[in-house]
Amino acid sequence: MKRQQVLAGAKAGVPIVFGFVPVAIAFAVMAQQAGFRGGETVLMSATVFAGASQIMAAGMFGKGAGIAAIILATFMMNLRHVIMSTCVFNRMQNAPLPLRLLAAFGLTDESFGCFTTLEKERCTIWFFLGLITVTYSSWVGGTALGVLFSSFLPPIISASLGIALYALFIGILAPNLGGNVRLVMLVLLAGGMNALLCRVMDSSWALIAATLASACFGLFFVEDTDLA
Amino acid sequence: MRSEVIFLLLGMTLVTYIPRALPAALSEKMKFSPRVEKFLKLIPYTAMAAIIFPGILTADAANPAYGLAGGAVALAAGLKKKSVMVCVLAAVATELLLYLMVG
Repeated sequence: MKRQQVLAGAKAGVPIVFGFVPVAIAFAVMAQQAGFRGGETVLMSATVFAGASQIMAAGMFGKGAGIAAIILATFMMNLRHVIMSTCVFNRMQNAPLPLRLLAAFGLTDESFGCFTTLEKERCTIWFFLGLITVTYSSWVGGTALGVLFSSFLPPIISASLGIALYALFIGILAPNLGGNVRLVMLVLLAGGMNALLCRVMDSSWALIAATLASACFGLFFVEDTDLA
Repeated sequence: MRSEVIFLLLGMTLVTYIPRALPAALSEKMKFSPRVEKFLKLIPYTAMAAIIFPGILTADAANPAYGLAGGAVALAAGLKKKSVMVCVLAAVATELLLYLMVG
């Protein structure tokens, strides 16, 4: 029974692998360019397991941001996981605490999306553990592949990958923005504030200040129904 | 491994794991006030937007137009609800073409 649930979860993770591996490779190349060593890059994927945060961290590290600013930015980026984790564990029948703490480590936007759109009777801890085993392995494996590849890449390809971080975030944001004036205003406000704040303070702190301040303003004009 | 990087990884691991584990660790089901929940949902939008701009202007150190061109292609793909993967590949291909054709 457990075995079947783990296998079903693993199978549900396969489509996610196709999304994770290319992004993991791009992350690995960016991290190397930012000055991380190969081992450090793979270790980051193995311990942090949060794609957007890792790519952001690599970008900030490459621009010389301090450790504290990178960690604070990572924290804010991952606050959304409190909500996702709440949804996932509220859906799950009670499971022993050690298993839940293990499962929590593997929570990502993608495993959340997969698990919370599942029929409720299939939502077990074993399904979730099977799911995250596959997604986690592909993320760490993809990073290792990227580290191996990066030394063979021609400079023109490496330079072209500089856009990947921005394209990743645009690709996540854009489908939600289509036709929603208030969300478009929100992202323009955040970008605009960051551009202004960059002129008066260090750019990594400007990023954090602009993120928090524009979210505060957003409380007043973004409707609850705009946010999934 | 450099001690600076060890601290960075340790810190990043903690601040990533804690938000994931908190709801799992609490035996009672977690509830937020609607206002806090809304704030937490707004953060990813504002954080990603602030990362994109003005940073995208420096995707190519010498020419801001290159970054904008790649961003425009990713935006077009994203608005057409293409997957994130397609957006990234399209933007990288745009840069590659620019470097090959314009230099």
